[in-house]
Amino acid sequence: MEPETPPPGNAEPISEAEALRRLRQSEDQSLQYYGAWWLGRMRSRHPDTVPLLCQALRQRQPRDAGAGVEHNAVARNAARALGKLADQRAVGDLLDALEDEDDGLREAAARALGDLGAAAAVIPLCRRLASGPSVAGAPQINSPKLQEPCEALIEALGDIGVATPAVLKVIEPFLEHDRPLIRSAATRAMLQLTGEPRWGDLLVTLLSHPQLQVRRAALMDLGAVGWRPALGAISGTLAENSLKLIALRGLVEKGPGEPDTEAVLLAMDELL
Amino acid sequence: MTLPEGPKGPPQPDLSPLVAAVDGAHSSESLVQATRALALALATPPSGPTALTAEMDNAIRTLVGVMGFNNPGAAVAAVDGLMACGPAAVEPLLEGLDNHNYGARAWAVRALAGIGDGRGLDLLEEALQGDIGPSVRRAAARGLGQLRLETLEPESRAPVWNRCLGALERGSQDDEWVVRYAVVVGLESLGHSPHGPRPAPSALLDCLERLAQPAQEAIPVVRLRAQLALDRLGPP
Repeated sequence: MEPETPPPGNAEPISEAEALRRLRQSEDQSLQYYGAWWLGRMRSRHPDTVPLLCQALRQRQPRDAGAGVEHNAVARNAARALGKLADQRAVGDLLDALEDEDDGLREAAARALGDLGAAAAVIPLCRRLASGPSVAGAPQINSPKLQEPCEALIEALGDIGVATPAVLKVIEPFLEHDRPLIRSAATRAMLQLTGEPRWGDLLVTLLSHPQLQVRRAALMDLGAVGWRPALGAISGTLAENSLKLIALRGLVEKGPGEPDTEAVLLAMDELL
Repeated sequence: MTLPEGPKGPPQPDLSPLVAAVDGAHSSESLVQATRALALALATPPSGPTALTAEMDNAIRTLVGVMGFNNPGAAVAAVDGLMACGPAAVEPLLEGLDNHNYGARAWAVRALAGIGDGRGLDLLEEALQGDIGPSVRRAAARGLGQLRLETLEPESRAPVWNRCLGALERGSQDDEWVVRYAVVVGLESLGHSPHGPRPAPSALLDCLERLAQPAQEAIPVVRLRAQLALDRLGPP
């Protein structure tokens, strides 16, 4: 789960019609990029929104390092927006994007398919992960990235929630991955799929990991699952209150369980 | 941090070496430690009533400066220390405000919100309405609910209370869920304010009602908090 960040620059308020106009044109990709982001952020319900985003998702473009824009920037943002809009018509194009050679686009597509709870994505997601930590989870040469965007693929499987033995078997080896962020993602997915408290307890231990980045990821993971027994540990984590509030919102909305909702709300009040 | 209570506190330590330790800190961790030590010393009142000394004022200004160093651990300690200083910290906070460092501004708004002094009202109002950082608007909304009206002249309590309500009503339209959440919390504490109108005026309850309605508020956690506020404020 990523905190939402607006695209850099170009951030004046616009209308829905203007966002659609920007996405529809193709002269200026930075305008398309912003339009796609806006439509997702504002949960646009306009009938043209989903078809236009699907069209943008099919659009490929070379990396333009000078412009400071990521590879396939418009397509990636379209995928993210489609994840927020919860419209099943996007599933087909997102499944295609999951097979793209650009791993950044595969990552965005996987997250969106997870947001949509798309059961059709379970088999292709498992296929990408099946070679395990030593192949799919091995570092790329000269890059901090892994061969596959494992974190996003694993989290998507957890969000979709198909808990068959085959899915669990694909995720389990990643519980031992070298990188704590991958372990955190695998633990979160196991918690979502099995509901066993030991996985929640394991995520809670990551809240005191020496690296801030790992603590932040564990906060987001506990929030995504809504694991209420983590309430006290989340409040006490050494990290930004903004992230703790997002995590506690997840506890309230994804709950249920103990402590009760009022206790979680009052813990949120203390962080404002 | 807990404040030692009662007249028999230990004598106040000499502040200048503690200030020097903050100024001379050369690592993130040593800055945190030095800030904590200074904040604790400031929060420990000497026995008997004391006037604000130049040394204390200097120490307070040092804590205000720490909030601009992009060191969250040190900033948390500084905010705790400033809140413990209460009204004495208000002028230094207002004067030390850095408009170009929004991390620092967020901490200053938090400290002012916690102190609850009426002199912070303009800043809290302005911050909730126009600050670019959601964490600043969030802290401001909470602070607008907890101004200490008893420190004001009786005739200015009602107008100040109404200004807080107006600012929170405008803040209830914020784009960020977490700011609207903080507005709910601010409205509830404003409704409980011991020197505010009783029972809570319908304008305040109406605003909470809107934030509790699915048709008007999309985010479940905000609605749940608004309903809790309405329950705790009792039947109109």
